Order: sequence, then structure tokens, then C-alpha cells
Amino acid sequence: MRGLGWWRARRRWRPPVPHWPSIRGRARADTGPLVLAAAVVAAVSLLAGAAPPLLRAAADDAVRDAVRRAGGDADVLARGNWEPDDGPTGGRVRAPRLAEDLDDLRARAVNELDPALRAALRPPVALVTSDILKVTDGSVLRTFQLAYFADDRGPGSGPHVTWIAGGPPRAAVPDAAAPAPYDGPPWPVQVGLSEADAEALRLRPGDRIPVQDARRTVKDVRVSGIFRATDDADPAWRLAPWLLHPVVGADGVGSTRLAGLLSPDSLPDARLAFDDGQFRRTVRFAPEPGALTWESGRAVGAAVVALKAASGSSGALDTSLRWETRIDAVLRDVRVRVDAASAQASVLLIAIVAAGVLILLLAADLLVHRRVPALVAARQRGATLPDVGVELLLESAAVALPAAVAGLVVARAVTPGAAWGWALPIVVAAAVAGPAFGVLAAARATRDWRVPANRTPRRRARHTGQLRRATAEAGVVIAAVAALVALHQRGILPAVAGDPAADQAGGVRLQASAPTLGVLAGALVLLRLLPFGTRLTLRRSLRSRRPLAVFGAARAAATAARVLPPLVMLVATALACFALTLDSTARQGLVDGAWRAVGADARLDVAPAGVPATAALARRVAAAPGVRQAVPAQLTDGVRIAAAATDVAPRLVIVDAAEYRRLLAATPLPDAPQLDRLTATADGDLPALVRSHDGSLRPGMRLELLRTGAPPVHLAAVGTAPAVGGAVDVVLVDAAAATAAGVLPAFNTVWVTGPGAARAAAENGAAARVVLRPDVLRASRAAPLTAGLLRLALVSAVALLALGLLGLALGAAATAPERWQTLARLRTLGLRPRDARWVAAGELLPAVALAAAAGPALGLLLAHLTLGPLALRLLTGQATDPAPVPPWWHLGLLPVALLAAVAVVVPVESRLRRGRRPGEVLRAGEGLPDAVLGRRSLP
Amino acid sequence: MSGGPLLRVRGVHRRFGTGPTAVHALRDVSFDVAAGTMVALVGRSGSGKTTLLNVVGGLDRPDEGTVVIDGTDVTALDEDGLSRLRRAGVAYVFQTFGLIPVLSAAENVGAPLRLTRVPARERERRVALLLELVGLAEHARQRPGELSGGQQQRVAIARALAASPRLLIADEPTGQLDHETGMSVMALLRGVVESEGVTALVSTHDAVMMALADRVIRISDGRIEGPAGERVGAAC
Ligand SMILES: Nc1ncnc2c1ncn2[C@@H]1O[C@H](COP(=O)(O)OP(=O)(O)OP(=O)(O)O)[C@@H](O)[C@H]1O
Ligand SMILES: [Mg+2]
Repeated sequence: MRGLGWWRARRRWRPPVPHWPSIRGRARADTGPLVLAAAVVAAVSLLAGAAPPLLRAAADDAVRDAVRRAGGDADVLARGNWEPDDGPTGGRVRAPRLAEDLDDLRARAVNELDPALRAALRPPVALVTSDILKVTDGSVLRTFQLAYFADDRGPGSGPHVTWIAGGPPRAAVPDAAAPAPYDGPPWPVQVGLSEADAEALRLRPGDRIPVQDARRTVKDVRVSGIFRATDDADPAWRLAPWLLHPVVGADGVGSTRLAGLLSPDSLPDARLAFDDGQFRRTVRFAPEPGALTWESGRAVGAAVVALKAASGSSGALDTSLRWETRIDAVLRDVRVRVDAASAQASVLLIAIVAAGVLILLLAADLLVHRRVPALVAARQRGATLPDVGVELLLESAAVALPAAVAGLVVARAVTPGAAWGWALPIVVAAAVAGPAFGVLAAARATRDWRVPANRTPRRRARHTGQLRRATAEAGVVIAAVAALVALHQRGILPAVAGDPAADQAGGVRLQASAPTLGVLAGALVLLRLLPFGTRLTLRRSLRSRRPLAVFGAARAAATAARVLPPLVMLVATALACFALTLDSTARQGLVDGAWRAVGADARLDVAPAGVPATAALARRVAAAPGVRQAVPAQLTDGVRIAAAATDVAPRLVIVDAAEYRRLLAATPLPDAPQLDRLTATADGDLPALVRSHDGSLRPGMRLELLRTGAPPVHLAAVGTAPAVGGAVDVVLVDAAAATAAGVLPAFNTVWVTGPGAARAAAENGAAARVVLRPDVLRASRAAPLTAGLLRLALVSAVALLALGLLGLALGAAATAPERWQTLARLRTLGLRPRDARWVAAGELLPAVALAAAAGPALGLLLAHLTLGPLALRLLTGQATDPAPVPPWWHLGLLPVALLAAVAVVVPVESRLRRGRRPGEVLRAGEGLPDAVLGRRSLP
Repeated sequence: MSGGPLLRVRGVHRRFGTGPTAVHALRDVSFDVAAGTMVALVGRSGSGKTTLLNVVGGLDRPDEGTVVIDGTDVTALDEDGLSRLRRAGVAYVFQTFGLIPVLSAAENVGAPLRLTRVPARERERRVALLLELVGLAEHARQRPGELSGGQQQRVAIARALAASPRLLIADEPTGQLDHETGMSVMALLRGVVESEGVTALVSTHDAVMMALADRVIRISDGRIEGPAGERVGAAC
């Protein structure tokens, strides 16, 4: 019979015809749930639509921030050989127009730049520098350099100076027509000295500066005058700060560099005074961070790579330009961080979208539950299942699409754009779930299951349902395992750097969905246990003497088979916990990162001029109130260390080992007990602790600290150094031992701890730059990507909690008719109204308790499994990926919120039914047998 | 209260809604039911049977009139009073059985005894006795879903009798059952009226079932019909 009917239906197929009055009537009857679904779609679309453009804006800011922080490292340099100056008859000819040549070089460099790159760079400065010379007076190692600047303001247009004695350098040999012989006496050249440099050298205008080059050839350099910079802060000076004052450590440990300023007139002389290889010209472009965006950053990176590839090799003798810059590395670093942040953001967005989809499924389920009678009526009216499906689809599309558009329009209004990619799953779920559930329910309701003889098909249907559920669950578990494995094997960062926004809209990566899938899989497994739990509770309560427990447990056991409401609660709670843990781990990571960056509560970075007084400064600071410790140290980056077969350039740290150890012990910085080994000398070598990112420096090695103009110092690596500041490669020696080994520490840093550290540092740090840990922490919290991610994590946590509570409310609403029907029946047995509320709470509690207890646990488990590969260190500035830091206080609030929601839902439900007498409630449920409602009694 | 009627209904009115759409479901209904009798309430669909039974059992309140059960004015009771009345005095049997699906037949029957905190031993004894009475001793451990409709209704009757009520109200107890099963359920009701000494007020459509009643009250359009009015005094 059934087969025949189906065949006839096939024969009489017609396109589905929606029945508009039914659609309108149903929509009017269920305005509440429809508005709710629309609100969820709009809210999630808003969140998911706003996050990618915000992330993109944060990426723009991050690019600018990174280039700004990189300072000179991000400059783009073009080096060009000089035109040959050999005279036709031998010897070198003085080129009086050398300054103009340099301007030509600068113009040539500008022309070679890709327009995208040029747009991102400031006007260039041409810079000529000599090799480092050695000052031959005195015993301390002092070095000297000749330098010339020209920006595009014309020849000699470097930073402005005022001559306070003598005058600007002039041509030493005014009209040198004859070529200079190759092996003649040193060609004389005039330079100007800054006040500080002149004082350090104790020279006056007209004096000769006692210098010689590395080959010990004496140079004839004279002081033409002494100048004062009109503006110390002119960015041009940062190219050669030694022109303004002596700079300690620029040429290795214990050295001080000074410099003389050339003029367009003396530049040709300087060229003759040096061999070509000793006197170099470069054109420097400083980047203009404000002109950079994420997009243009990518173009700049590509242009730089192309430029470097096309550039001549450094050995070439022609005058072609050779390009050098680290801006591509800076951009690559920031891209890695942006990639990490966008992957972390997509982890959170996937969580929100998944919870949103689950809520919409639950809402659709609730709606269909309410509509079964109407759907049955529609079927009886003659509507086919496709008719019903199309009617429901029209309705749900009319709800979902405008809601999504509204969400995206708001997103567009409050952010620089709106990405619709993430909103898509939400819209699809909202549009399709209702019709799908509705058609299934209509099909089920109109198949006659009430005939007792039909028990076998009923059992078969139940088995099919169970099989379907098990298959779906197995699919989710397999996907979760695959995602977790992929995350651990490949990490969160893409192999090829991608666009943060495009990445969101396009292929959502498997790895990023690992936490959500993991939570989903865990929740499904736990929900398998829920019926056992409720049945166990029921069995125990049957033995108890409290009737309310029995009835509550009986109702709970009856509803435990419903998967969706507890699934939504459990998943949302777990993901909220995950988001909170991500947030607190990142926050704690920033605190640790700030400790690592500053090394204490405050740090004084002593200016070169103040270095000799650093020890005294440290003593003064230590004596200030509220200061626990003030430890002076020398931090020199890029020292040359000869190790085994290679040279490395680590950060050299010279500090009193005992004091430093105490400092580490008293702060959250990791302890370094091996500092104790530094005071014992090993075979006359200076004991050192070492640390390197690639293992090129290992304890047990013998190393040499190379110095310019002084014999190397032998080091014995006796242990592992702590990470000092952001340095990945560190060599750390004890100050006293270093002094004994002939390395005089030039303390340029003071670490200050204690509650009064900031104040003491500010009051005493006139000669130093004061770096306060709270400032660093504040700055890194405010860093664009970090701030964006932290905000997203908090918003996600709140949104997920809200979705979880909504899940509780919807789940309660879906079962409320049955619940109060049962309660009305129990009232006919003599249950008091106030006891009915307790029974209702007892019914809701098991699922809520599961979500409240297992949700945070599941979230923490997934945090432990996935936070490591999420590469949070890239945002926090920690040395390694941080271990999860559970925010216990906030996590405690999740269960409280859920339980409080039950305490609200039950009285509200009861109040809504207060006017209804038991007779009425019982009557409302008549005529709808359980099979129609899709309820199944437990096996 | 020996001698007097167990149930006394006087001038009961019940309207649903207001204005022109108002439904006057009960109009000035008065009748008495003597203790230990089984009274059938008969009427067409929509005549007000369920409404009347609900008002009598305190599941609904009349707009006017009084219902006195065994000397207690039901219409004057508050919710707690009604709960107390249901625990001991009045029990219900519904067309849809109203059993708790996850509890076994025995546990369903024992449910009212839990509410009155009857000790477990005594409860079990009484449940066994009642299941024996309704002929379901073998099915004690089965859940409602595993019982036939007739069996479920027997469990419901056993449950209604658990707390030894004086008045048993049954609203179309055979409505979802086929005729034969319905007859046996009706016969069971008749039997318990006899053996347990309870008074039963049973609504039904079925003329055959009326034959089992001591007396028939006909209701039509919310009014008690014909001879019922005369009998108010006579039944005492
Ligand atoms: N809550 C209500 N609101 C409005 N009208 C109601 C309500 N409950 C019952 N009615 C109306 O009261 C009248 C009597 O209904 P009642 O259910 O008592 O009839 P019934 O005799 O039990 O019918 P049936 O044999 O079909 O069960 C009907 O017209 C019904 O529509
Ligand atoms: Mg009725």
C-alpha cells in the first residue's frame, strides 16, 4: 500500500506550492521564537562580520608599529662604489664636485625604487662614512669615524649645526690640480667636531686628531671647528650618533666611538685620504610607518625582495647600487605575528559560530516542537512534504537573511568594513534547520505510529536514529582528532603567509577548528553518559524517602535523551572557558613578557655620556626609599664571540653574579642557580653562562670574546645563561671576574626592583632613559594585535556564555509544556504548587550541572591540548609558548551563572503558568500523543 | 458523614472568556452523589463533562456555586488545601492515563503514597495489593511504554486508588481504548467501587458503559438534563 502511494505521488509530481495564509498564520503565532532566531543571527553576524576588518586594521597598525620599533634596522640602504679617480698619468685626482656626485647617486637610488616601495619611504639621506680609525692617544680603546650627510635639501644639507669655535671644514688643498701619488703622504682632511667629542679628545680647532687605520697607516685629520647641533633630535643624527657625543660599546666591549663631520668642501679630501674600500657612500631611506598598511607592507616586502635579488653583489666594482635592508625581515616577523593573531582570532570566531549554529538548531527544534499540530493540519489540508518544506524555507529565509544583513550593516557602521564569510554558516543554519526539522517532524507525525501492531517499524526507526546519531558522533570525534593532530604537527601558522581578512573569508583551516571540534567531540561523549547518570540518580532517588527527588529525577531521566539543549550548554560553557583561559594566559604572558623585557620593576638605560657614573647611579638608586635592589650591568648587543667553528654575535651581559641571582630570585623571572658558577675561575679562563637559540653556544665550550684593538678574552662556558631581555643569544659573565680578566665593565644599565623603583628611577635617571615595567606592560597590552585579540577573547567568552544561557532557556522552553503537563498530573496526586517548582528545577538540574561541572573542565582540557601550538608567545613576547593559566575566579562564575539561570527560569516558567489551573494545563496536552511530538519513552 | 451525599454540587456556573465570544460551559449545575455509588456523566462532545469534572475535583474553579465533598467546601480551599484534598480525598483517572513514563508500573502506583510519605514497607505492600486488584501483578516492573493501553489505564486506576480516596473522578477513562478493553476497564471500575467502597464519577460517551453505573447524569450544553434535577433530593 505504502509503496503504491509513493509511486502515485511520484507520478503526480508537481512543483511545491506555498500556502501563503499558512505561512503568515504560523509566523504570527510564533513571533517570539522567530525574533529570537533573528536576534541570534544578527548578533553572531555582527560579531563575525566585524572581527575580520578589525583584525585587518590591527594588522595595519601592527605593521606600522613594528617598522617604527625597528628604527634604523628597517632602513633601506643603497651602497654604490665611487667613480674611479685614477688620473690619466697615475695617482688619484681630487674630484671637487664629489658632493654633487653624491646627490646624483641619491637621485639614482630613488629612481631604482619600485613605486610601492618609494611610497613607503621617507626622502633619502646620502651618507658617506670612513672606516673606523683608532685614536692613538691614551690607553683606553677609542675609535674615530669621518662622516658626511646630504639629504635632498641640496649639497651639504645635513642636519643644521652652529659653529661655536673655528668654522666648517674647508678644502685642505684649495686648488689641487696635480694628482695625489698612490704612495704619497697622508692627504690632509678637515673635519668639524661636536662639543662633546672635542672635549673627550681635548682638541681645539686647528689641532690634528691622532688617528690611524687598521693597517696602522696614520691619517692627517684636522679640526676645522667645533659645532653644536641646532636640533639634537634631528633624525639624521641617529645615522651617526657618535658625531654628537662619544658612544660607548659601538666597536666592541670597552670601546668608545667618536666622529668628525665632513663638509662638501672637505669631502673630496676625505676621499683621497682613504682607499676606496675604506671610504663608502650609502643612500639611506628611513621607512615612513604612517604610509604602511598590511596590504602595502606585503607589496613593500615583495619589492624589497626583488630589489635585493636584482642588486649587484658587494664584490662588484662598478658603480651599480647594492641594496641592503632588514625591513623585509621586520615585515616577515610582523606577518608571522599577524598570522598567529588571525589564526587565534579564527579559533575564537569558529567557537562563536559553532555555538551560534547549535543555538539556531535548538531554536529550530523548539519551533518545530510547537508547530507539530499546525504541520499536521497542513498535511491534512493536502500539503505535500515539499510544500511544507518550501513554506518553512520561505519563512526561515525571510528571518535569517534580513537579520544577517542587519548584523553586517551594523558591523560595517562600527568597523572599517564587514566580512560576510563567517556569517555564512549562521545564515545557512538559520535558513535550513527549521525547514529540515519541520519536514522530518511532519513526515513522522503523518506516518501512523500509534497502531500497536506497528511496534517493529517503530523499533527499526529507533535503531536507525541511534545509528545515525552514532555515525554523526563518530564523524565529529574523527574530525576533532584529525584537527588536533594537524594542529600539533603543523602548528597554527600557515605555511605561506596569508591575508588576515581573506584567510577568514576563505578556507578556514582545520587546525583553527581544533578547540571547537575537540569541545564538540568531548561534549558528545559526555552526553552519552548523561542518560546513565540520570537513570542512576533516579534509581537512587527511588530508594530515598524524598518524593520530590523521585519526581525530579524521573523527569530528568525522561528528558536526558534530548541531546541538543545540554549539548549547546556544554559546548558554549566549555568554549567560554577556553576563551577565558586564552585571555588569562595571554594576559599572564604579557606580564611575564614585560618582566622579561624590562628585567626588573624599572630599568635605567644609561646614555653613553653617563656610563662612567652608572655604578654611582646604581648606589644612589639603591639607597632611595622603597627600592629593594639596584643592580648595574653592562648589556652590549652583537659582541663578537668565536665559538668552536663559527662566530656568533650574542648579547654580552656583565653583572655582579650574586646580586643578579638575588634579583632573579626576588622577581617572577626564572631563577638561574648556575650564576653561582661564575665566581670560580676555570683554568684562568673567564667563566661565562651561555644561551643560544640554535645551540651554537653550549655549556662546556671554550669561547673567545673578540675585541677591536685588544687581544681576545678566553671564556669558559660553565652553564646556561638566563634569557636577558629579549635576547635569544646571551653570554653572561661576572663583573668582578671580568675586571680581573681585563674586561672593564662599562655599566649602561641599572635594574631596579621594589615598590619605590619607578620613583627612584625617575628621580635619579636624568642621564638615562627610564623603562618602567608597568609602562612596558601597558604598551604591550595596547599593541594593536594583542589588544585586538584580548578584546576578541573577552567578547567571545561573554557571547559564548550568553549563548549557553540562551541554550538553557531554549532547552527549558522546549520541554516546558511536557514538564508542566507532568507537574499538573502530579498535582492531581497532591503535589503542592511550590513543590512543583522544586521538581521542575530537579528536572533541569542534571543537564545544567553537567554543563556547569564538565563545561569548564572540558574547556580547560582543550586549552591544555591546544594553547601550546597556538603560538601565543608571538603576542606576549615570552621566550616559549606559555602553559595555560586558568582564570579560576572567572571560571567559577560560569557554573554560578548557569545555576543562577535555573533559579530564574523555573520561577519564570511557573509564573507564566500561574493563571492556568491544572485542569487547563492537562487539557492543553490532550489530543497530541507522544509519537506525534517526537517524544520517545526510554527503552 | 454517613447517610448524607458524599458529593454535593450546587448552582455551579463556569464561563470561558468574556463578551460575545464567551463560552458558557456550565450553567447552574446542581446534583448530589451518594457515597459508594458509581455515577456516569454522559453528554455529547463539548457539552461540559470535562469542565464539570475539573470543577468537582478542584482542578478548576467555578465562577459561581459550590462543590462540597464529604463536608469540605472544595471551592473555598486554597492551593495547599486542594493538595491535601487530592492526597487523601479525591483521585483522578484520565483518558490519556497520565503515567510517568520512566517509572515502572509499581512505582507509578506508589507515587501518591510517596507524597503522603507512607513508609516504604507499607507502600510496597499496598502497591502489590492494588496491582493484584487490577490484575497486573505480573507487570509490576514494566514501564508504561511496555504496556498496552488497557493495561496502562489499569495502572492509572490502581494509582488513583493508592491513597484510598473517597471520590474517584474519571474523565473518559475508556476514550483511548477499543470497546472490549474499555468494557473490562469499566468493569474494573465497577468492581473497585464495590470492593474499595469508593464513590466514582465517570464521564463517558458509551451507552453500554452506562449500564454499569448506578445512576446516569446527562449533561447537554452545560446543563444537567431532565430527571437529574428531580433526583437531587431522591438520591440522598
Ligand atoms: N479553556 C477554555 N477556554 C475556552 N473554552 C473552553 C475552555 N475549556 C473548555 N472550553 C469550552 O467549554 C465547552 C465544554 O468543554 P468540555 O471540554 O467540558 O466538553 P466535553 O464534554 O468534555 O467534550 P469531549 O467529550 O469532547 O471531551 C466546550 O465548548 C469548550 O470549547
Ligand atoms: Mg472532555
